[in-house]
Amino acid sequence: MRLALTLLFGLAASAAAAHDMAGMPMPKGPDLGASAALDGKGRLWVVDAADGHVRLRHSDDFGRTLSAPVPVNAQAEPIYAEGENRPKIAFGAKGELYVSWSQPHARPWTGFVRFARSTDNGEHFSAPLTVHHDRAEITHRFDAMAVDSKGRIVMAWIDKRDLEAATAKGKPYQGAAIYTSVSSDGGNSFSAERKLADETCECCRIALASTPQGEIAAFYRSIFGDNIRDHAYAVLHADGRPLEPQRATFDDWHIAGCPHHGPGLAIGADGVRHAVWYEAKDKPAIHYGQLDPGKAPAHLQTIATAGASHADVAASGKQVWVVWNQVNAQGFALMLRESRDGGASFGEAREIANQKGAAAAPQLLLWQHRAFVAWNTAGGFRVVPTEAL
Amino acid sequence: MIRRALLALCLALPFAAQAGAPVALTAEDVPALLKPPAHGVRVLALWGLDCAYCESNLQALQKLQRTHPREIELIAVATDSVAESAALEQRLHAAGVDMLPSRAYADATPERINYLIDPNWGGELPRTLIIRADGSRKGISGQLTPEKLATIP
Repeated sequence: MRLALTLLFGLAASAAAAHDMAGMPMPKGPDLGASAALDGKGRLWVVDAADGHVRLRHSDDFGRTLSAPVPVNAQAEPIYAEGENRPKIAFGAKGELYVSWSQPHARPWTGFVRFARSTDNGEHFSAPLTVHHDRAEITHRFDAMAVDSKGRIVMAWIDKRDLEAATAKGKPYQGAAIYTSVSSDGGNSFSAERKLADETCECCRIALASTPQGEIAAFYRSIFGDNIRDHAYAVLHADGRPLEPQRATFDDWHIAGCPHHGPGLAIGADGVRHAVWYEAKDKPAIHYGQLDPGKAPAHLQTIATAGASHADVAASGKQVWVVWNQVNAQGFALMLRESRDGGASFGEAREIANQKGAAAAPQLLLWQHRAFVAWNTAGGFRVVPTEAL
Repeated sequence: MIRRALLALCLALPFAAQAGAPVALTAEDVPALLKPPAHGVRVLALWGLDCAYCESNLQALQKLQRTHPREIELIAVATDSVAESAALEQRLHAAGVDMLPSRAYADATPERINYLIDPNWGGELPRTLIIRADGSRKGISGQLTPEKLATIP
């Protein structure tokens, strides 16, 4: 089963008007950033943040009813739970629950990557630890987490230590870096972090998926040349082998800016790397392609255009699903396109849900070769089936 | 000495609050913001708190506006919630662009305001929307290069 655990949903969102100072509405409700995952028994687990706590809920009826929340961090702390920054959940080899999140610090764009685990089925969590050994108050955020086939926890995040060092020396440096770290003791500790790549995008989520060999691969927005923000792919070898990122998309979108729009990745049992990503060189577009690192993706096609955002992808056999949020003047539609030929072609786009208020990025979940979409909205957390009714 | 400092502070505070406080931008306000100016250009400088390129873009646009004060109307529009006014003001002040007219989103769904402002914009920041008296509009994503800045007046 695909490790969709790093994919996500979230968007700075707000429910009803919170207060009214100058006769104007000031909406700022709870942030909707959350992640969901199905365990081997079909229990759905959801993490999001409220009042300084990452909270864990579960459901045994595919999201129709959710358990009372369990706080992951006993002591409240600031938590990013918006946009492309949101808590993550993954399972260990023996049913452990692993939760990670990014903790904002006082200076703009700074943060620490945090981690906690439960070995009693989510009843209690260990005291949170900071994953990276570097403790400077700089950017370490946009955490991504997955567990490899040997049970090792692989983390990756966006890190600005190299930007800071270059700036101090008066040297140019575009964007940020991505660092990665591994825990081989079930989350008791994390190895000293390794740099995956310099000059990557500073504000887009990192997509992780497991390879047929059981390793964890990363797909992320990088920077090539002068602020060309295409994507790169790399296997995050947990055994110390060199990390070898390769450019994997070639749209040539030049932007000295923050897309806030990271990609999605699902790797089939056959090794096909199904990917979705956003770019706006001419007009906004979400593309699908099968990554062939170093070369242009195969079966490249545009899935959606203006108004489409935050796509996710899942694959099972010859079936491939792509979902995304489509904004309009009223709110959001949750859109789906399906392929039955392994991603060579996709059917027409179909609206499978809609929402007048805020909606977080959708996340595909696979269960027994069926796909469901976890969608956190201002109206509540939902699990939407992908089958046509 | 202290009294003088306090007096200066008292005089400065209402001014500072007025200069930087973003005015709420609701969906209903968008058409007026997009209305072509009577002459010259209106420039919407869309920016956000989580954007490493936005303050320098605002500074470059302010510099341009000051050299063309009659041709360019420049408005800073934060895509963050107006509920974050204090943080927005502080950031504008630190960048020296707090004298600009300033708006901030007031909608439970910020992406909806993005869409209403420009359906061909995916929310990437900074974003500059140039609205001309003839009704034409042009949106540019990312920090403006000197060449792109030169096309505005």
